[in-house]
Amino acid sequence: MSADTLNLAAEGGGGLFTPGGPGFEAPSVGIFFPEAWSWGDYGAGSPYLGGITKYAVLLLVATALTLLFLWWTTRKQTKVPGRSQSIGEIFFLFIRTQISRPMMGVKGDKYLPLLISLFLFIFAMNIMGIIPFLQLPVPSNLSYPVGLALIVYITFIVVGIRAHGGVGKYLKSAVVPSGAPWWILPLLVPIEVISNFMIRPATHAIRVFATMFAGHLLLATFAAGGWYMFNPSAGPVFGTISVLFSGASLLAFILFTAFELVIMFLQAFVFTLLAALYIGEAQEAH
Amino acid sequence: MEGSLNVIGYGISVIGAGIGVGIVFGMGMQAIARQPEARGPLQTNIYIGFALIEALALLGFVLAFAI
Repeated sequence: MSADTLNLAAEGGGGLFTPGGPGFEAPSVGIFFPEAWSWGDYGAGSPYLGGITKYAVLLLVATALTLLFLWWTTRKQTKVPGRSQSIGEIFFLFIRTQISRPMMGVKGDKYLPLLISLFLFIFAMNIMGIIPFLQLPVPSNLSYPVGLALIVYITFIVVGIRAHGGVGKYLKSAVVPSGAPWWILPLLVPIEVISNFMIRPATHAIRVFATMFAGHLLLATFAAGGWYMFNPSAGPVFGTISVLFSGASLLAFILFTAFELVIMFLQAFVFTLLAALYIGEAQEAH
Repeated sequence: MEGSLNVIGYGISVIGAGIGVGIVFGMGMQAIARQPEARGPLQTNIYIGFALIEALALLGFVLAFAI
């Protein structure tokens, strides 16, 4: 590296060991509110046509990825599966043996399309956070997981009402625990109502949101810290120390990116698992 | 130094969820080691327990921003 390049590199970041240099600015919550691209005055001031944010673009990319995977694995269906079809079958069996069958039994197989789409879509939205240059997990904006959780919420209520044959019967089975003595019911029923119909959809949505939010903030902090500490022009001793610090930050960034990938998979899995659990619980006739 | 006391409160509240998640996974590993053939249902139940405990930490996370 020539001296010019080093100076150039030190200009952007490199606040460390620079007397009177810029202080470290940790990434703020502002990174989750990207500016909207709008078309001139079109839609200005309207709450619905405020332009397109990065989230909307990434949402389309995630949708395209999901559709592409499903198209690629089901394109040529033969009795002896080829390469792409095998991947699709492995994935299908994974969802069925790990999520659908333990939670809902054989009669839950008709909800497999919902579960498979949920898992694929959430995973595709999550990995937007670690794809270079995109790097913003879509569920780190609360509205997207809330939409998905609402779909599951409405689904399990409708399934429960159908399975029990009436709104009253379903509510009774969902809210009144069987086998509890009558005098404890005034205490139990409100708790069940709050936990089953209020806390449940809220945590279902917030779970994936909070993990993606916190994970992205963590990665951004490591990236910003590494950039801040990279200051090779600070002299032979301090320059070496700063480069070592920033190298450690880069290493941590890479390790946590791998960790994030695991978390992203796990969160998609847990979301789908809980969706299956709620639907299975609702369709169980007591 | 500037900052919010909420963050400290959230840090303290997460201790409980951390202990809980540790117990769930530790006990789950133990159960799988004792009875490896029951791995499938055990794993599913581990993740359900994990998700329920995590909900507590998440409520704290949201309240740290909201209040």
